[in-house]
Amino acid sequence: MSPIAVGEREIFEIAREVFDAMIPGGGALEEWHGDLPVQHEPLTAWVAFHGPFSGRAVLSSERGTVDDLASALLGLGPDAVVGDEDRLDAFGEIANMVGGNLKSLLPFPGTLGLPEVAAEPPADGVLLEKLRLSWGGRPIVITLWSTDSAAAALSEGSTLQ
Amino acid sequence: MIRALVTDDSRVMRQIVIRTLRQAGYEWEIREAANGAEALEAIREDEPDVVLSDWNMPEMTGIDLLRRLRAEGYGTPFGFVTSEGSPEMRQTAEAAGALFLIAKPFTPEAFRDVIEPVLA
Repeated sequence: MSPIAVGEREIFEIAREVFDAMIPGGGALEEWHGDLPVQHEPLTAWVAFHGPFSGRAVLSSERGTVDDLASALLGLGPDAVVGDEDRLDAFGEIANMVGGNLKSLLPFPGTLGLPEVAAEPPADGVLLEKLRLSWGGRPIVITLWSTDSAAAALSEGSTLQ
Repeated sequence: MIRALVTDDSRVMRQIVIRTLRQAGYEWEIREAANGAEALEAIREDEPDVVLSDWNMPEMTGIDLLRRLRAEGYGTPFGFVTSEGSPEMRQTAEAAGALFLIAKPFTPEAFRDVIEPVLA
């Protein structure tokens, strides 16, 4: 089985494809330049990878941005009020699409967990990649983590092989 | 009128799938189920023309739903709409009797491409 690298470029391409296809309006997903502002009411959504590679793909942003993402995903108007359930559901689904497509690139069999959403991400794991992105000028951070010691050793390089 | 059952544990994603089906064309009569177990009951009660199902769901996964349907003798046209479209999953889906697998993110064109042969 040939190795498949999952690095910043692959994560960015997948995230951009998800946003372009599913989240009309709000502008394209771009690289964030400069320092990230402090996030008010942060929200984090993630999906876990289980199998020979254990880890998770994590999206972080603030509640106002997540509301706009949910509204765009559902095709609602700009003044629409997004309920708590739809906010969590929509953000989890975006993480699910990004994580599911990342998992497709891994050269290992395994399973994907159900999406989870919380104010803070789980504290365990080793950070493999971190992308700071801008959606219409609002920050969204995507991170890839390993949660087992064997895969964590791979984090010494810039890509997961 | 095509009678479809859309199965996904995400209400938001069900709405998006339904919207995309309508954008893809045809007249749809759509029911919803929030997991494989709900879908199984809905199909036993009233078999639809086509099932579009997520793969990864609580209670009963999409692939378990498909295997159960085939084991019970249902030949209902069945396709997956899922966030992971690896060759391994496509192979598993096909072996279980799925007619197509649409990977998220998707477009109305992707739906049209796989639905048309099913309806032919």
